[in-house]
Amino acid sequence: MTNQTSKINVSRRQFLKASATATGGFSLGVFLPGCATFGDSGVSEDHTWTANAWLEITDTSKVIFTLDRIEMGQGTTTGLTTLLAEELDVEPRTILVKYAPVANVYRNPDYGLQMTGGSNSLSSSWVQIREAGASAREMLVAAAAEVYNVPLDQCQAKNGKVILRDGDKQLSYGELALLAASQSVPAKPKLKPASEFRFIGKQNKRLDISGKVNGSTAYGIDTEIEGMAYAVVSRCPVLGGKVKQFDASQALQAKGVIGVFEIYNGIAIVAEQYWQARKAQNMLEIEWDEGALATLSSDDMFNTFKQAAIDDEGKQVREEGDFNDAIDTASRVIEVEYQTPFLAHATLEPMNCVVEVSEEKAQVWAPTQAPDLARIAVARVTDLSPSDVDVHVTAIGGGFGRRLTQDFIEEAAAVAYQAKRPIKLMWSREEDTQHDWYRPATYHKFKATLNEASEVTGWDHQIVAPNLLDWYVRDAAPAQYPWSPKFMYGMLGSIGLAMQGIAVPKDETAIEGAVTVPYSIPNLQVRHTHADIGVPVSFWRSVGHSQNAFYVESFIDELAHETSADPYQFRRSLLQDHPHHLNVLELVAEKAGWNTPLPKGLFRGIAVHKSFKSYAAQVVELSVNNGAIKVHRVVCAIDCGTVVNPDIVKAQMEGGIIFALTAALHGEISVKNGRVEQSNFDDYALLRMNETPVIEVHIVDSDESPTGVGEPGVPPLAPALANALFAATGKRLRSLPLRLVS
Amino acid sequence: MKIAVNDVERLIEFEPDTPLLWVIRDELKLKGTKFGCGKGLCGACTVHLNGTPIRSCITPVSAVEGQNITTIEGIGSEESPHPLQDSWVELNVPQCGYCQSGQLMSASALIADNPKPTDADIDNAMSGNACRCGTYPRIKAAIHHAADNINKG
Repeated sequence: MTNQTSKINVSRRQFLKASATATGGFSLGVFLPGCATFGDSGVSEDHTWTANAWLEITDTSKVIFTLDRIEMGQGTTTGLTTLLAEELDVEPRTILVKYAPVANVYRNPDYGLQMTGGSNSLSSSWVQIREAGASAREMLVAAAAEVYNVPLDQCQAKNGKVILRDGDKQLSYGELALLAASQSVPAKPKLKPASEFRFIGKQNKRLDISGKVNGSTAYGIDTEIEGMAYAVVSRCPVLGGKVKQFDASQALQAKGVIGVFEIYNGIAIVAEQYWQARKAQNMLEIEWDEGALATLSSDDMFNTFKQAAIDDEGKQVREEGDFNDAIDTASRVIEVEYQTPFLAHATLEPMNCVVEVSEEKAQVWAPTQAPDLARIAVARVTDLSPSDVDVHVTAIGGGFGRRLTQDFIEEAAAVAYQAKRPIKLMWSREEDTQHDWYRPATYHKFKATLNEASEVTGWDHQIVAPNLLDWYVRDAAPAQYPWSPKFMYGMLGSIGLAMQGIAVPKDETAIEGAVTVPYSIPNLQVRHTHADIGVPVSFWRSVGHSQNAFYVESFIDELAHETSADPYQFRRSLLQDHPHHLNVLELVAEKAGWNTPLPKGLFRGIAVHKSFKSYAAQVVELSVNNGAIKVHRVVCAIDCGTVVNPDIVKAQMEGGIIFALTAALHGEISVKNGRVEQSNFDDYALLRMNETPVIEVHIVDSDESPTGVGEPGVPPLAPALANALFAATGKRLRSLPLRLVS
Repeated sequence: MKIAVNDVERLIEFEPDTPLLWVIRDELKLKGTKFGCGKGLCGACTVHLNGTPIRSCITPVSAVEGQNITTIEGIGSEESPHPLQDSWVELNVPQCGYCQSGQLMSASALIADNPKPTDADIDNAMSGNACRCGTYPRIKAAIHHAADNINKG
């Protein structure tokens, strides 16, 4: 970029208005706030037409796509590039992809933040990125029509060229770029009808693979910059504790140590080499102020939740009919309680960040899901404003929601600010496990009523859980107003987030997937009792759905058995008003052979759940041997609207199922004396290949708009597994992880 | 001390207890080998020592003095990829990709020893390599795919 104009709040219209510049070649500038980080990929060139915020075309016909949703394996690189490729009419694999800098135009429209999460990258880009491609295509066609002096309809864009319909004349996009830039920007570019798609629904190759099989893909942890030192931080083993006093005299003598610095949450060691920093860390003597959670244990916490459920009946978040009437007239009342523990994200790439802080600016290289929040985190611990902070997004070694929280970036900036040297902060696996922002532990109570005909007449669901936004607004609210003075960050956090025009959005994270229970039950209420124990919590792949599906789909299974009904037919009978649910349920039952008897020793369970606007149903087949659970096969049906890349949908279902199996069979973060008891993959185990079942995925054919894919494969697994375990053993397990023997 | 990495002899100066991983990554600048756990539990740091897979995060550099190390950068190149790398691309194996160098190093040692591995052989050889994205079914299929291609010649 040769013409960098810093402007905040530039509208999309302004972005799309390509404006010629007087600088070198025919470079055409648009307003790109914060575009100092542009060109990192080395692919931006002077002789480039910047058609809009997402697309550049060089005079050599290189097509450069600026990807504003981060890639953490979920497939945004491939999916969003395919959208652009379709409308521009170029092969997706020929497009060069670079990550977006922080700018308002790149905000996720669903959040008002530049954030990747909530399985909406494709749905929120579905029109936007296709329009970016279509707009440029129309301008290229207009340019060709001008060259040939023919009406527009005589020219057609095809495979990187504009072809004259009659005759064999053609011009490449590169040749047309200069002239295209002077065409007027279409007010509403015409999108291809689905019948003409060449790549959407057909592109089955991932575009980000070659570097991932030869080791060349650069993740955050692979960043190196001139003069960089390595940093590690000792944090209080009790969550939320602070340094009381420390003695660094020994550590300072250790080989390679450059300095020891107290930051807001611990003691940082900066050394020439990583291993030197780690060795010196053991020499630190720190006395901690353990704070409010010093005596907390998981058992106490669940007792607190149980008491909260009694003391506070909670906020009614859904009410149909009159549950009290159902109780009065019930012939049977079934009452049960469920709970799930904290979970860590355990991304395989541990938290890390490279920061360089000078008096005027900071540069950050980080695997983050929310680069605009990263700027707030850096501003908070330095003398800088968010606009002084350039965030270079890297490839990400697993996100799952962990990297929506910017704590590791804040730490790195705090260290670099004091060390007056660029540093790479790295967390150990133990630190990553013990200082995560966890999937919350929650406690749920159900009450259901049956009449004499064994029909379900009432459903009362009480959710005892924290609100995630209470924790998230700290960085997210200021990120929506990055020009606000820093002393206001706290106040902005307490006001909350502005989403889609609503000042304080409803926090659905505790109730999502429970409040939307789809079964037709005449008297139904869902209540939320707010309870927050003070352990940091955050978004974890599929968020509230990850546990609410377990609760709802286990309890509905209980009711099926209570009424001596087949669990599949029972669900069907209550889902007649929900055709999408019904469709995936019937599809999975058919593909799994629900009505066919299984070989001796094998048992099945089923579950269906809607999350992130997609519908997923799963059947789990398992056997139990001396209390050991072996999962043999998982069949999954998914309806995610229009499919852009069928193999990525399949891969995300496979991955979601394995992620959920890890949680259902192994996942537990427990707290004792305020300390997380697990530390590494020996006591916080991930599912391994030898435990992995056969997974079959069936995708529903749909022409509706695309919906979520990264998360919806997770929620149905745990209940389908628990339901299969009930079929196998007659034991109803009402807490996770599922353990037949303790 | 001297070590040979990807057939290039390298002279390095490191404290002897430094794990090989950090020498490979931070001194030799071969970033394909990853840090995951520091305890030999996840396999992200897998390299070959004289052809045998080892966990470089728990191997002191002094223990490999004078020996031959192969990293992900040494098993194939973009122009001439290892058959496993071809199969990984063909079957769209990686998601985030972070564990895949380690997966490929374990898999390449497996098929060098056992050109026609069974599912059970693959489970045995690969269950020390964790993948948080859940690419195991594809890794297994890709190992079979590559073995078939190699055996076809």
